[in-house]
This record gives sequence, structure tokens and C-alpha cells, in this order.
Amino acid sequence: MAQQPAATVNVRTTRDPVDKSYRKMIAGMERFAREHAFAPDAPLRFQLLPRSPDVKMDGIKLRVAGDTVSVPVPIAPDNSFVLPRNEQALREDAAVLANRKTVSMTWRALIRTPGLPPDTRRLGDLRLECRVGTEAGLVSNNSQMFAWLSNALTSADQVCNSPEGNYLFFADRPLFGVRLRAGARVEELPFKMLYAGGNQTPEMLRFCDCQVLLDRTYYAPIWDKSWPDDTLVEFDYMTDAAPAANVQETVQ
Amino acid sequence: MKTAALLLTLLLAGCATGEATLGTLAPAGRLAASVVPGRTTKAELLATFGKTKSIVFDSGYETWLYQSPAGGGRFSEFVVLIDPQGIVAKTRQRAPSTP
Repeated sequence: MAQQPAATVNVRTTRDPVDKSYRKMIAGMERFAREHAFAPDAPLRFQLLPRSPDVKMDGIKLRVAGDTVSVPVPIAPDNSFVLPRNEQALREDAAVLANRKTVSMTWRALIRTPGLPPDTRRLGDLRLECRVGTEAGLVSNNSQMFAWLSNALTSADQVCNSPEGNYLFFADRPLFGVRLRAGARVEELPFKMLYAGGNQTPEMLRFCDCQVLLDRTYYAPIWDKSWPDDTLVEFDYMTDAAPAANVQETVQ
Repeated sequence: MKTAALLLTLLLAGCATGEATLGTLAPAGRLAASVVPGRTTKAELLATFGKTKSIVFDSGYETWLYQSPAGGGRFSEFVVLIDPQGIVAKTRQRAPSTP
């Protein structure tokens, strides 16, 4: 009697519906390519940021997971990464998954023109971050219902071209002030453009992806065309940078 | 339903919307002369200029916003950073914005 072929079982990846959509993130990358003129010298990366107080941001593992495909994504020490293109993952409508609870982190596009002065960003880079980040569905103001409503009411063009768009940016360290500089024109951002508007109650804050980064949060006037793309966004931090650790190299 | 209403409120508020923040009014010159980084305490600030718009961060730092009338319906901002020990660490002023 001929041996029966072994039964094949396809184990499909269990997905959390609020993990990031690979297709949407690729759409964000395509938008970056189309609108690279905002930041012509900058590459595109994505970045994971803490969203809950107890999340451990060391040793995160990331992968693109479809029904049958799983592609590991290398992560840099600053938790930034480049998302690889994979046609099979696109066909399978894959998710981008981290080995952390979904609600414990948030995501952003990271577009930095090299060679800027220390403690500055470039407004054109931020304009493109907003477009790519919104297109890619990175902002994590979840609950799911909140996300659904957000998606229903906001496109990247609406968010990034309106003072009411409220796309939050995060500085590297806690902020005390933010200044715009374009040639001789210099302006401080008003208080209401820092700390997510400054009107978050603890009850509201847990729904915002700025929950643990509140002191690093600011809005930039990306909608205001009177500020050119080359405008420098200068940061005055709450404290001076910690001195570099006195590291002694050890040869093993 | 209550949660849905809260979420809708948050969405409309923008999870961070920029509703105008308004600090307690105080004369700009008096603020600049009285509030000295490294010396003025939170208690002194409160006693002299009163309670105002403030944010307390998880780090223990606080930012307080005072505003000063500048004519024509405009206001300048005086922002104070208070360290976790309750001492003013920094101040900054912002020129009046247009109404």
C-alpha cells in the first residue's frame, strides 16, 4: 500500500490588528521617493520610540510577517531601521511586528539631512517626515477606535498642510524652547506648540503616543509656507547633554 | 459609549490640540527682574506671581507659563523651568504674538 503523503498544515501568523501594515509602510516609502525634494540629501529610516512607561527599548527584534513569509529587519542602536522591500510580503499583506506589546511603542519616520548644526532639525525634513509617517500609518494614538477615527478624518495632505494637523514630533531630549531660523528671520515657537499643546490631562495622555515623551514633544509649523524648507529648527533643552562616558576600550 | 465619547472628544481636541494656553498675567519687567535661575524657588514664584499654567513631567521638572500684556491684544510669554528640587533652572521670554 502506497504511503499517504504527509498532511501539510499552514500555520498563519497571528496578527494584532494595530501592528503596522507593511503595505502602508511601503506606501510611505513610495511617498518619500515622490516628495524627496523636501529633503533632497536625506535618507529615509523609521524609528521605534517608547510609548508606555515600562517598555524596555533594548534588544528589540523586528520582522515583516505575512502568511508564509517572515523577513527579519535589522535595528540600529537608536532603534531606527530601513524597511526592506519584499514582493511576497506585499502580496500577503504582511504586518511589521516587534517583539514588544503593540501599545508599548510608537513609530515615526526619521529623515535627517546630514551635516546640520548640533541640536537642530531642518523644516523640510520634518515636512517629509509628516507626509511619510502619516501615509505609513505610524502614529499610534490607539485605542483602535481612535485610530479608525483618525484614519477616517485625516490624510497625509490634511494633516501636514494644516495648523490643526497636530502631527507630533519628538526631540532627542526634553525641551525647554524651540526656535525657527531662516536667514535673518528668527522666531520662538509659542508655549502651546510644545508638550503636545500643554493641555493634556493624565486621563487624556494615556491615549496619546506622546505619553512618556511629553517633555520631548513639539509641533513644527510645517504647514506655513512662509518658512522655507531650509529653515533650521533649533532646540534649547531642559538640561545640558550628559558628558560622554569615559569609556575604556578592552581588547578581548 | 462613555469611552467612545471620550475618544471622540480627544480626536476633536486632537490628542494634543492647540487650544490657546493662557498663563497668569504679570508685568514682563517684573518677571524678568524677579525670577532668577539658580535662586528663585517655586514657592517664591507662587507667592509673588500666583498659580499659573504649568506642566509637571515624569522627570520631576516643571514648566510654568506667565504672560504679559503687550498692547493691541498681544501678549508676550515668560516661561520658567523648575527643577525637581523646586528651584528655577531656566527662564525664557517670547516676544508678543499677533492676535
